[in-house]
Order: sequence, then C-alpha cells, then structure tokens
Amino acid sequence: MQCSFVEHRNYKVVYRRYASLFFLVGVDNDENELAILEFIHLLVETMDRHFGNVCELDIMFHLEKVHFMLEEMVMNGCIVETSKQNILAPIQLMEKTS
Amino acid sequence: MALSGMRGLSVFISDIRNCHNKEQERLRVDKELGNIRTRFKNEKGLSHYEKKKYVWKMLYIHMLGYDVDFGHMETVSLISAPKYPEKQVGYIVTSCLLNENNDFLRMVINTVRNDIIGRNETYQCLALTMVGNIGGKEFSESLAPDVQKLLISSSCRPVVRKKAALCLLRLYRKNPDVVNIDGWSDRMAQLLDERDLGVLTSVMSLFVSLVSNNAEAYWNCLPKCVRILERMARNQDIPQEYTYYGIPSPWLQVKAMRALQYFPTIEDPSARRALFEVLQRILMGTDVVKNVNKNNASHAVLFEALALVMHLDAEKEMMSQCVALLGKFIAVREPNIRYLGLENMSRMLLVTDVQDIIKRHQAQIITSLKDPDISIRRRALDLLYGMCDVTNAKEIVEELLQYLNTAEFAMREELALKAAILAEKFAPNLSWYVDVILQLIDKAGDFVSDDIWYRVVQFVTNNEDLQAYAAAKAREYLDKPALHETMVKVSAYLLGEYGHLLAQRPSCSPKELFTIINDRLPTVSSSTVAIIISAYAKILMHTQPPDAGLQQQILAIFKKHESYIDVEIQQRAVEYFELSRKGPALADVLAEMPKFPERESALLKKAEDAEVDTAEQSAIKLRSQQQSSSAIVVAAQPPVNGPAPAANHLTLVKMPSQNIAEESNVIHEETAVEAPKENGAPVEVQRNVEIITEPAPVSKVEPPASRPASQADLLADLLGPLAIEGPPAAVEQTPAQGLEANQSPVGDLALATLEDQSNSVQPIVNVEEKFNILCTKDSGVLYEDPNIQIGLKAEWRAHHGRLILFLGNKNTSPLLSLRALILPPSHFKVELSSVPDTIPPRAQVQIPVEVTNLRASRDVAVLDFSYKHGAALVNAKLRLPIVLHKFLQPITLSPEDFFAHWKTWNVQSLKVQEVVRGVKPLPIPEMASLLLSLHLAVTPGLDTNPNNMVACATFFSETTNAALCLVRVETDPQDRSQLRLTVASGDQNLTFELKEYIKEHLIDIPRARVAPPAAPQQAQLPPAAPATYNDPGAMLAGLL
Repeated sequence: MQCSFVEHRNYKVVYRRYASLFFLVGVDNDENELAILEFIHLLVETMDRHFGNVCELDIMFHLEKVHFMLEEMVMNGCIVETSKQNILAPIQLMEKTS
Repeated sequence: MALSGMRGLSVFISDIRNCHNKEQERLRVDKELGNIRTRFKNEKGLSHYEKKKYVWKMLYIHMLGYDVDFGHMETVSLISAPKYPEKQVGYIVTSCLLNENNDFLRMVINTVRNDIIGRNETYQCLALTMVGNIGGKEFSESLAPDVQKLLISSSCRPVVRKKAALCLLRLYRKNPDVVNIDGWSDRMAQLLDERDLGVLTSVMSLFVSLVSNNAEAYWNCLPKCVRILERMARNQDIPQEYTYYGIPSPWLQVKAMRALQYFPTIEDPSARRALFEVLQRILMGTDVVKNVNKNNASHAVLFEALALVMHLDAEKEMMSQCVALLGKFIAVREPNIRYLGLENMSRMLLVTDVQDIIKRHQAQIITSLKDPDISIRRRALDLLYGMCDVTNAKEIVEELLQYLNTAEFAMREELALKAAILAEKFAPNLSWYVDVILQLIDKAGDFVSDDIWYRVVQFVTNNEDLQAYAAAKAREYLDKPALHETMVKVSAYLLGEYGHLLAQRPSCSPKELFTIINDRLPTVSSSTVAIIISAYAKILMHTQPPDAGLQQQILAIFKKHESYIDVEIQQRAVEYFELSRKGPALADVLAEMPKFPERESALLKKAEDAEVDTAEQSAIKLRSQQQSSSAIVVAAQPPVNGPAPAANHLTLVKMPSQNIAEESNVIHEETAVEAPKENGAPVEVQRNVEIITEPAPVSKVEPPASRPASQADLLADLLGPLAIEGPPAAVEQTPAQGLEANQSPVGDLALATLEDQSNSVQPIVNVEEKFNILCTKDSGVLYEDPNIQIGLKAEWRAHHGRLILFLGNKNTSPLLSLRALILPPSHFKVELSSVPDTIPPRAQVQIPVEVTNLRASRDVAVLDFSYKHGAALVNAKLRLPIVLHKFLQPITLSPEDFFAHWKTWNVQSLKVQEVVRGVKPLPIPEMASLLLSLHLAVTPGLDTNPNNMVACATFFSETTNAALCLVRVETDPQDRSQLRLTVASGDQNLTFELKEYIKEHLIDIPRARVAPPAAPQQAQLPPAAPATYNDPGAMLAGLL
C-alpha cells in the first residue's frame, strides 16, 4: 500500500487509482489531504450514478459531461457542491429537454 | 442526446485511442488542428453546432497536452450564442483554454454581465462559473456589485448563490476592495446562517479567504462558525444527500475548522466551550473502520480537529490526548494516516512543549525512515530533524548516516545537509562532529555541498584540541582505495594545515603525507589540484629540518604546474616555487590560518532557504537588515516561494522609495566587501607580483581562498563574517553627530514616549536620538519597536511642509487597530490623511501629513499612535521633527542691507539680547556649522572680530510671510562656555522664539529644562545698546 500524497516542490499531489485510471489533484499546503482524497471518490461516485458502472470509456467519450459535472463540483479550486443530486441536476435537465 | 450526438468528436477520440504510438497521435492531432483551422477561416458557412463540435475537439487536444493557439476567438464568441448548448460550451471551454489576461475576454464582458443580471438561472450559473474561474481585474471592477447582490439576494435560488459566493471570492482576490463596504462582515455573518449546505460550503471557502487576510474584521462571524460545527457534529438538519458515508459533509466541517484557525484566539467563553465540546467529540468519537472511504472522511475531520486544537493551544489534557492520537497514527499500517500523523507531529513540535512525549516515539519514527514510501520517509526525516536535541542527536544522526547508504538520490542532499546541521548543533563532543562530517563526505560526497566541508574546516581551525584529531582522521581516510573528491579536498587541506601535528605518529612523516596525497593528484579536478598544491607548500614549510629529497619532489611538481592549463594553479605554482626558494619568507606567508569569527552556520541558512514556507524566515532576515540600517527599510521581502503578500486596498507600497532601498543595499554591499579584509582572511581579487618579493603578512594564498570567482559568495561565507554581522556602526553616520548632544536640552519632552509605561512593547531605537537626527535631516527613522518601524520623509517649502510617515509592519501577522493622531500646537495647521486600520503583514503604509506654519513657536507637534499586536495595545507618543528652523531659509545679505535692518530693529523686543552661560564650548567653525544646521547663514566679514559671528535667514509663516531674521553671536575667547546672543527681526514673537530656540541648541545641559530667560543675567549687561556707529566693525565691537 502506498501513500496517496506525493510532495512536489511546494505542492502536493493527492491521487487515487481506480484500476488503470489515475485521478490526480494538485493542492497547496493549506488543504486537508484526506478530504481531497475523498473528494476524488465523490466525483467517481457521482459519475457512477450518472453513467451507471462508470468505466474509462464513459469518461473518454463523454468528455463534455464529465466537464459539466466537474463544473458543478469545483470552481477555481474550491468545492461548490457535494450533493450528487444537486451536481447531476443540470445534466439531467439538459438530457430531458433535448 | 444532443451532446453525445457529436459524431465527429467521438470518431476523433477513437482515432486518438487507436494510435499505436505518440508519433501517430501527433500526426492525427496535427491533421485535426489543420482541419479546424481551415474551417474557422471560412467562418461564414459555420453553424453554431459545428463551431461547438470543433471547440470540443480543441479542448480534447488541449487536454492531451498539445498547444492550441488559435480558435480562441471562435470559442469566446460562442458565449454570445443565443442557444443554451452553444453558450454552455463557450463558457466551459473558455474557462479551460484561456487565462484572465486574454484580450478576447474583454469582448464578452458585456454579454457576461447581461447573463449575470438576467433572469435566466442557468445562464447566471454559467457566467458566474466562468468569471469565478478566470475572471480578472476588469471583471472584478465591473461585476462585483452584481455578484454581491446575487449572493445575498433572498429571491435567488441556492444553485445561483453558491456560485456567486465563489465568484465573489475570485473577484475579491483580484481586488480586495470588493468587500470593503460597510456592513460586509454582518452580511457574512448572515450568510453563515444559511441552511442550504451547498451555499454554505461555497460561502465557507469565501470566508476562509476573507479571514486569512483580516480575521479582525470578522470576529462577529466566529460564533456562527462554531454553530455550524455544532450542527454538523450533532448531525442536526443535515439532508441525507450531504452526508458522506454517514458523516455530515466532511468537506464543510474541514473548511469551518480551517476558518477558525485564522482567528488568533477564541475569547467568547460560550463559543469556546461549545467548540471544545465539538472537538472533544471528534477526538474521542473517531474510530478506525473497515470502509476505506468512511475511514478517510472521518480522519480528514479528525486531523483538522487536531490542527485546530494545536492552534488553540488548548488545555493540557486535550493536548496530550492529541499527542496520544498522533502516536497511534504513526504506528498504523495505513500509509496515508501514518503520513499525516508524522506531518502533524512535526507541526506539534512547533506549537507546544511536547518534545518529551514525542521522543518516546523515536524508534517508531526511525522505522518510518525506512518505509518503502518516499512521502513517508520525507515526513519521518523532517520530524527527526525537528525533534533532535542534545539528548538524542547521536542516535538520530547515526540513523541518518546509515540511511544515507540506501536513500534515493532525490533525498540524499537534504539528508546530508540535515545530518550536518544536527551534528553541528547538538554535537556532544567535537571529535564526534568531525567524525560525522567526514563519514558524510565519504558516504555521500556528491551530495555534500561545499558549505559542509567549509564548515568543518572552520570548526577545526577554531578548536585547537581538534586539529590533530582531524588531521589523523583525514590521514586514515586517505588510505582508502576509492575516495570522493571532496574527501580529497578536505583531507589535503587538513593535512597541509595540521599534518605537522602528527609528526610523531607512525606513517605520518611529511614525506609520507606528501606521498599519500600525491597519489590522488593525477585523478582530481583543478579546484582540488589548487588545494593540494597549497598543502604541499605547507608541508614543505613544516618539514623541519628540511628534507632535501622531499623539497626536490615538491619543487618539481610546482615547476610542472607552472604551465598548467588553469591560471589559478599556474599562479600558485609560480608563487610557491619562488617562495620556497626564499626560505624564511615561506613561513611568514604560509603561517597557520587565523581563527574564523563566530557566525551563523551557513548550513542553517541554506536549510532555511530551502524551507517550504519562507515567510517567517524572511521576516527574520528583514529584521536583521533593519537593525543594521538607519534607512527606512520597511520593504516587504517577497517570500522566495510563497505567495506574494496579500494585496490590499490601502495605499500600500511593497518597497520603500527606490533611493532608500538602494541606500540600504549599498550599505550591505559595502560591509560584505569590507568584511573579509578586516578579518585578515585572504579573499583578494587583485594579485600583484610584488608579493613574491615582499611577502605580505597576510597569508594570501590559502587553499579555499583562491577558488574561482564564481564561488566567491561561498568563500566570503567561509572566510569572512556574514554581511549581516558587518559593523552596523558605519550606517549610523549622520552629519548631525556634533549636534545631537546640543539638542538634548529639549530632551525632556522626548520622555513623552515613555509616558505609557504599561506598554509591553518597547522601542528598540533611541527615540530621542532619532528625533534629534530628524531635526537636521529630512528623512530617517522616527520610531521602531519589534513590530513596527515608522520612517519619515519631509519636504519644506516656505511655510508649508509635507511629511510622509511610513508605517512598516515587520511581522508576518497584520497590525490591527492602527490609530494615529497628531496633536498640533496652536501655531501649526496639520492635516493628517486618513489612517488605515490595519497594516498587512510585512507591508508598509504611507500617511501623508500637510503642515502649515502659522507663526514662530518652539512647541513641537506630537504624534499619538497606537496599534494592537495580538492582544497587546501598544501606544507611543512621538514628537515630530517639525521644528522652528525647518521654516528658516539661510540667506546672505550685503553689509548695507544687514545694517539697515539691524538699525531699524533697534527697538525693545524686536531686537533681543542675552548672555547665555553654560554653553557647550565649541571652536568658532563648529559654532558656525551649528548655526548653519539651524538654517542660519553665517556671513563672514560682517563682523571683524574673529570671535563673533553674524548670521541671517528668512523665516516663513502664514502671518509673517517671509520675515528676515538677524543673529549675532559674540563669544568670549577666555571663556567659551558663555556667549552673548542677539537676535533681531521685524516681529516680536519671532525674535523671542528664535532666540530661545538658538539658545536651546547652544546650551550643553542634557535633559535639564532650559531655564526661562533669567532676569539677573540680563541685568548684568546693558540691554541692546543703541548703536549709532557707521563702521560695521566698530559698531559691532561697541556692543561687546
């Protein structure tokens, strides 16, 4: 088992691996590392809820949707929303109307 | 599905995924970029849908790491598209591709604003998100009020408000003024009452940023923060959607606790009690559980709680609870927890006195030093470094040395440096220190910087007991077959210098020493050759009685190196060759190196420089600079790596005016250059051949001294004292030196600064002296204490004066509740510009002061200023150097003019005369320069008596405009402690005040209050004799 935090210059990389997929977040020294680590998982769970059994291909070929989700979750390095329901609401609305 | 319907995009992505290698991928990307470029060129036929598709492709290419340097205009223009899907793509891709300085953003600023103030919620969200991500200064200026309105609006839905909060955060960072409005802290307090957790999460991020810059302004929000934590801890009113594995939003909890760490203390007892209850609950109630996510989330909260407890420096019981928890964490298997445990333990060392408890875990920490994970090893190293003291230094340093063998390259330099520092700092005995450093060089020579071996040389040179030991050790190392070059350097140096101390030991004869060093000569680089050559010269000198064979050998080597490719070595070879033929001269030139002055370890400095957070350290640097400089150095030293000092809306300057900064630089440069010379240490740039024939007493060519110039900085450090240690005395030179004592009669007023004895902060400069200096100079330091430095710069024009007060915060925390008031005497009109409430860390604020002089007076304006540092209120009352002579201008009058006035003012009280006793005895020229320093121009030749002086000036005030003043001083060559002073002007008040003022400066009674003009004194002499003479000389002479 490896540590999920890698120090790099004055920053840290918090990363999480899901099979062959790596999720990386760069943070400064003022972040709570474990909270970020779980935020990665929150993103994965959110994608999972939307795509159902999310896999790499979902992310690859639905690039724009992942962007929409991230937009709902993070803004300028700060967490906006942590409720999956709220994160997904705009996307679901879009899909319904189209 | 509209978006996934972009077939072209899907095809492109599959193409990329099917590429077998990078080269193929690049070709495919280039092809696509070419395609997009052509399509964009003929934009006419392009539909919004097509544009959208291409823009997504561009984003994908951008994400793959390729440069996309076109199409930005098309991307931005999508923001103005009428339909939602295009607009959305425009906003999102713009955020990803462009940065705030991109000019295209200006084009859409109006569209963005319309979207923000429009009624369409989804458009509002898009616009707020983009501005929140890449909004720059212009956005900040034009949008802040609108964004604020949305944030506090009760009619807006949470989905908009949470984005408005973070958008405002961005705008605030671009321009702190946006929240500089009345009642904003109340608004924040209201916002923290928010029920919606999404909004609350965003607001909390905004809040953290606000309090990190100015906690003082948001005291009212503190209880709200605690209330939020209570709500979360009790799991009250938390919607299911916001609990994460059963934990109420860990992210919000973490943020709220982070915000509380920016308040210096929590004074409100009920808030404090409530908070400690919550913290206690977290500390006690967090268990290790199987589920990784739940475990991580609960520990995220727990670690934040630990940090908060440490910050609050809570009750002892709670602290030891924390230490116990950390002790548990550093022993768990889970690497993330172990990592954080080690990290927090290091932090704990800084805040509390828990060294002893942490030492109990030393064995465990050493185990972590051998962990397979590098992040953990780094933390363990850091912690060991931090917890090291005299009691455990030996053990820890030996562990570090051992670890050095197996450590990866990335860590070796740090390890070597840290081991060297600890060995030096906590050495139980000096021979151990030498052992450690030599081992260090031996094991990790490549990672041992020159500073480390310079330092050991310094130590050995300064400790005679150590010299033979070190030489013997060096001798041992030379027996090893393979040796790092640094080891060759240090050994050659030590044996050259102290090898003769070993003469009695086996295989340590000069010849043997020479042979064993000489074995290395063919394999080393030129910098080492230089050291070896010098060592030979020293060995030669120490060989008594001379050994002809050895001499032949060494001279042959010198001769050979006279044509060496490196001129430095050529030079040494030539000089040593000549010197050694001179016999005794050699002994003079190559005398043993003098001791080095004690100084700060260069290694420590280096380690500090490498520290991640340089804020504290640069503050220390700054302080030491300020102490040795009289210039107004209130500069914010930009931290090397850290963020720039917080921008502020006040009239801040980060650097003082250029010339002042330069002045202080010059001073440092001077001391830096001079220092080595004073020290007798031979850092000489210029070399002259005369030295060969006429050996200087300075041992000029010591090995490390004559290294290439590129290393001059290191050399200066090895061989000379640090610039900072240079004599600060040179700095204090002011032209006023002769005057200081004279001016002290007014000194009793200076005691005003001490009036408030309750001040725990005392000035670190002599305030009175500074005042006196400023009376004769127009810029300098007025006041300084450990927290603040007040400098002053003044300009005078006729009866107007313009002063600028420079208030510089020397700390890394802001100075709060700043107040400055000027209590002007009645003869001044003083206008003080508004004084900001806070001085941000290491920043400087300027406060201009306008002065108008109404009439002559000796009263002095007092600056009453105060500030808060932590809980302490510091108050001082300082006299401002707005003194009478600042409104005088020296002029030269012709004898005719002078006497014309002199005669007309022969009226009682327009011309006043007084015999002044107790004058500081001064020769006439010094008296003249004293008068000149008071802006009175001494006019030679008017008075024929060489013991007398006549001086003139124009005095400016609002009532008198330009008024001529005439002064005559008649001294008594027999008794220099008394003189007769006559002052005349067209204004009674001016005459009287000026006479008194000059008298104050002449009398030599420090601190005694100047007696009011004593009647008896006047009685002894006739009052201003009515002069009727026409010959100037005779006329004046008649007065005496």
